[in-house]
Amino acid sequence: MKNDDAELLWLDEQHEVTASELLELSGLSAEELEWLVEAGALKPIRRVPAAVTQQSNAWCFSGECLIAVRMVSRLKGDFDLAPDALSLTLVLLERIRMLEQQLQQKNSQA
Amino acid sequence: MKFKDYYEILGVSRTATSDEIKKAYRKLAHQYHPDISKDPAGEEKFKEIGEAYATLKDSEKRAAYDALGSHPSGQEFRPPPNWSGSQGGQSYSFDDVDLSDLFANFTGRRQGEQHHGGHRPIQGQDYELAIQISLEDAYHGTMVDLNFTVPEYDNQGQLKRVAHTFKARIPKGVSHGQKLLLRGKGGKGANGGKNGNLYLNIGFIAHPLFRVAEHDLLIDLPVTVWEATLGATVKVPTLDGPVNLKIPAGMNSGKKLRIKDRGLPKQNQAHGDLFAVVQIVVSPNPSEQEIALMKQVAEISSFNPRVHFGLDTTNEK
Repeated sequence: MKNDDAELLWLDEQHEVTASELLELSGLSAEELEWLVEAGALKPIRRVPAAVTQQSNAWCFSGECLIAVRMVSRLKGDFDLAPDALSLTLVLLERIRMLEQQLQQKNSQA
Repeated sequence: MKFKDYYEILGVSRTATSDEIKKAYRKLAHQYHPDISKDPAGEEKFKEIGEAYATLKDSEKRAAYDALGSHPSGQEFRPPPNWSGSQGGQSYSFDDVDLSDLFANFTGRRQGEQHHGGHRPIQGQDYELAIQISLEDAYHGTMVDLNFTVPEYDNQGQLKRVAHTFKARIPKGVSHGQKLLLRGKGGKGANGGKNGNLYLNIGFIAHPLFRVAEHDLLIDLPVTVWEATLGATVKVPTLDGPVNLKIPAGMNSGKKLRIKDRGLPKQNQAHGDLFAVVQIVVSPNPSEQEIALMKQVAEISSFNPRVHFGLDTTNEK
């Protein structure tokens, strides 16, 4: 993630988070992350070319997904959620986020 | 090391089945989960419940826990000399060990492997804070004082609410609802573990004049009837000092006049815009002369703003 302050990371759609950062910060396993991507609940924005990274198929995600992924990881630990419940939870969290955003925009125009 | 009665915490008997323990945990977890519970003590209670469940749900850990025997909650105790959790009669200090540490180290240990008590690296806790800043602070960037309390384990392994004070820099370019991650600014790691992270959720305090739409700002611009009709130049406040705004002749209420680059800063150094929303306001106490002049205008003007109603207006005046 690029930013002016090395300690400060912007969690929004203008910044990216690599798969390894997402795993480190969320506590999900690589298998769980793959499950979420395969289920369509999490959409990588691009793949890092093999020339840049040592791993092939290394994904990059929008920075704003980290918050929802962290919550899903926490709920998984708190309630022993199965993988299919994780993907449903993530989809619902994303829908809530978009609705809150639309509501905020609507209120600001009033 | 203080004893915790995990069965009591979950509200089950010592002979409860795995299913009963799971059911009890789920019920309590739902009740005290930080995303659900409004109870200020709920977070501590939830951690307690989680610790109890983590031990009792695992058959190996549960057997080791049962072998500790039963003690009053909160009482200092030592595992018995031949406790299944120790190896080959080794003795070591339990002074800096929390009960949960015994079981965290227990699983996966091979025969003969030494137990090092409470010295495994523990990553510090992540903190999440919602903070409110003014539009002026968002415009210029600011340092904020963060004061918060979180439940943490003290040196005696007891869960207590600990106060933290921390200064955080909020850079220019944040928007309402912006989320920031400050690496390493969460709870302190233990035994060489990394510090946790701090997640900030930025909200804007409602401003008396400006409304926010992403990085654009809106301000209601009251104008008189004659300013709207004839046009005028008026002073408009911005977050960076007032500007003169030319109102073209013939403006109606609801029209937006764009003041370029006077909105909130973006991350790429550009700025959003400020939109002045025209609102024609009638004088609440017109003088007699003003009333007389308005009557003259009413007499001579043929303007009908309601022509689209398609109604006969001959008897209106």
